[in-house]
Amino acid sequence: MENLVEFRHITKRFPGIVANDDISLSVRKGEILAILGENGAGKSTLMSMLFGMYTPDEGEIFIRGKAEHITSPLVANELNIGMVHQHFMLVENQTITENIIMGIEPKKRKFGLFPIVDLQSSHEKVQQLSMHYHLEVNPRDTIEDVPVSTRQRVEILKMLYRNAEILIFDEPTAVLTPQEIESLLLIIKSLRDSGKTIILITHKLDEIKKIADRCAILCKGRLIDVLEVATTSVQHMSALMVGRDVSLTLDKVEHEKGAEVLKVENVSVVSQDHITLVDSVSFSVHEGEILAIAGVSGNGQVEIADAIAGLIPIKSGRILLQGNDITTASVRKRIEAGLSYIPEDRHAVGLILDFNLRENLCLKQYYRSPYSNERGILQHDAMNELGNTLIEAFDIRTSKGNDTLVRSMSGGNQQKAIIAREINLDSKLIMFVQPTRGLDVGAIEAIHTRINSLRSEGKAILLISLELDEVLQLADTILVMYNGKVQTIRKANELTKLQVGEYMMGVHVEKN
Amino acid sequence: MLKRTSLIKRLFILCCGKGRHQLLRTSLFCIALSLLAGIILLLLLGKNPWEAYRSILQGAGILAKPRYAGRKSQLTDFMSLLNYTTPMVFAALSVAVALKCGIFNICVSGIMVFSGFMATVLVGYSNLDPFVAKILVVLIGALSGALLGMLIGYLKHRFNMNEVVVAIMLNYIISYVVSFFIQTRFIDPITRQSVAVTQNARLTLFDYPVGSLKMEIALVFPLAILAVFAIKFVLDRTRFGFELKAVGSNSKASNYAGIQVGRAVVFTMIISGALAGLAGVSYYLGSNASIQPRVLPSLGFDAIAVALLGNTSAIGSFFASLLVMIFDCGTTYMSSRMQVLREIAALITSILLLFSAIGIFFRNLADRFQQEAEEV
Repeated sequence: MENLVEFRHITKRFPGIVANDDISLSVRKGEILAILGENGAGKSTLMSMLFGMYTPDEGEIFIRGKAEHITSPLVANELNIGMVHQHFMLVENQTITENIIMGIEPKKRKFGLFPIVDLQSSHEKVQQLSMHYHLEVNPRDTIEDVPVSTRQRVEILKMLYRNAEILIFDEPTAVLTPQEIESLLLIIKSLRDSGKTIILITHKLDEIKKIADRCAILCKGRLIDVLEVATTSVQHMSALMVGRDVSLTLDKVEHEKGAEVLKVENVSVVSQDHITLVDSVSFSVHEGEILAIAGVSGNGQVEIADAIAGLIPIKSGRILLQGNDITTASVRKRIEAGLSYIPEDRHAVGLILDFNLRENLCLKQYYRSPYSNERGILQHDAMNELGNTLIEAFDIRTSKGNDTLVRSMSGGNQQKAIIAREINLDSKLIMFVQPTRGLDVGAIEAIHTRINSLRSEGKAILLISLELDEVLQLADTILVMYNGKVQTIRKANELTKLQVGEYMMGVHVEKN
Repeated sequence: MLKRTSLIKRLFILCCGKGRHQLLRTSLFCIALSLLAGIILLLLLGKNPWEAYRSILQGAGILAKPRYAGRKSQLTDFMSLLNYTTPMVFAALSVAVALKCGIFNICVSGIMVFSGFMATVLVGYSNLDPFVAKILVVLIGALSGALLGMLIGYLKHRFNMNEVVVAIMLNYIISYVVSFFIQTRFIDPITRQSVAVTQNARLTLFDYPVGSLKMEIALVFPLAILAVFAIKFVLDRTRFGFELKAVGSNSKASNYAGIQVGRAVVFTMIISGALAGLAGVSYYLGSNASIQPRVLPSLGFDAIAVALLGNTSAIGSFFASLLVMIFDCGTTYMSSRMQVLREIAALITSILLLFSAIGIFFRNLADRFQQEAEEV
């Protein structure tokens, strides 16, 4: 078979990491090639280079046997390459046709004089296109009125309208319901059968098994293997994807867990566009227990933490903290009931970047004694004292101590400041979401040690992480989420890394 | 050529770049730029810029004029400067407080008209004792302003309505409703404005004899000073000020920390509205005595630029108000003395307001140049 696309020794570096390390990969004409890998394995980077959003540092990309410099998505368009992004690029208040023809509008002259966009013929062309590929849409509907699955069809039609031969799908099923996924997979298959070449970025193994011809597996920026899907088991693929070098350093003291601290009962969360993000999840966390929620990004883990902290409303269910029902309590009531939360996004949520360090360290206690008196006057001396204590105890490195603007601090020190503030609250429950994201090895180790010592002190810890190694290293109990549902809750020592990986990929969906 | 641009950039970084007193330096830089633009303008008109600026300061009572009319002196000029500055200080504080909480209050003008009208109607035509009347005017002004501010804050918090849109609509509504009442009930057929309020209700004493002089005394100027320090205290030292600034800097993080964002927004707008209300009464029942129908005071909009020039701080707003009003008051004298059209003279004030509003841009530009310089 003819190679339509060839990556030859592609290397791409970003500050601090090698996103793609000497990758050579070819895509055959008329096949569905799946690209599989964990978060940060380099899948999206590789495809972004094919689509012209990045250019490779080393190596070349050959299209139809010719070396091409794809410097922008426009060049990619000319080479008949199209991409459906994970987050749709559509204009909400325009019609489907207008979105599809945008940028290459057919023009005609009204009364032979005034140039106008020929919408009538465009509607017809879109209609024909949608019939031909079985992508039912009404060209006159406005984007904001149609569901997510239709928007995705519009994205696909947008590529087809531009005569794309090579179609890249970036995690297309992440936003869809199971039924919609089924029909999308059928669509992708029929596109292949009509002669298109398809590259599918995903971490869902069952989808690969259903439609892909071959599967390229990336791990930490390297191409591990390219497999024929028909002759490979999902277990084997998952093992390759997670990486075989399982080296766990467990120097944890085994001890009995204590009383129940957090109880989550049948909690469901829906997004603003009515997609179920968390589906009837129940679990509980005990004193001295680290419960880790594992899962691929976007499977509802972060929403659980936000719901427990009261930042987003829940649709149904109950949340109990130390026996108190906090389901409808205000954020502050929950904090006072014994909740600390290290959020995923430290810049947007965890810190006020334009406040100084002292103010950020006091952010959850400024209103009460001794930091404010009963007449509402801040007590700067007490705040300074708290700041100094925490700076020393948590080794926060700053240029001007308490008065340092948090914006000017390094990521690791910003995270230390958040952790210092949250631990200082002396709450019974501490939630860590992605506590080590973007930090260097030393900082990661310090945080892991901290989490372990909190466990020894009898705190209940809820850890949400995308790093499988982190989950396995710290957790007493592992909860795996997939599509907003609990896949399994088990003691950490009853699960292997491969099993967790399979649950994360939804391999065991049917079995449960 | 390359070297020269980098020299200009370096000078620019020195003026507006990171470091000590960056905010103050940028504001001074803006003032210097506008003075420079004024000089160019005056030179184009064939006037002596040095003389022109001198006459501005003379007109505002900062420097002595060569001659004074009877019963006037530099002191009377200065006192009338304070009289005109008073509403500007309140208005700039109103904008600054709201901006600290991330709210863009452009309704100051509308609130001024509303509170001025309320005080005029309720107290302005009565025969109350002067002392009682003046206190009532101040209270009604603050209260009616606070009510409108609360409305804006509530609409923003409860229905997520953009405060700018609400403010624009309110400005229109107030302007037309108030002028309806003025034109049907309170119109003075000669001036085509509302009937002037009694001296008892006015917050400014006119032609008040002090020694051999007759001057204007703004009775609420001390209140304006007090407001500056009160706002500074609230922002720097109180729990509420902490919440207000937190919400303004990052409302998501504030919510996460347990601060009631909506409550902070509503209370901030109550304070901002009350200040705008005080600006209204010190304008319509102070430096003026009547309300011109269907006209929003431009002072309410100038206050936005003034607050920005003052870096949205309380003290900064005060000095920025004073500076802008020096120009405003002084240009009248300058236009008569230098034979410059009044409109051209007003242009110099406008240039100052324009440059003060883009201080943030200069600061960001300097930061970027600095980054570039560090990278190379």
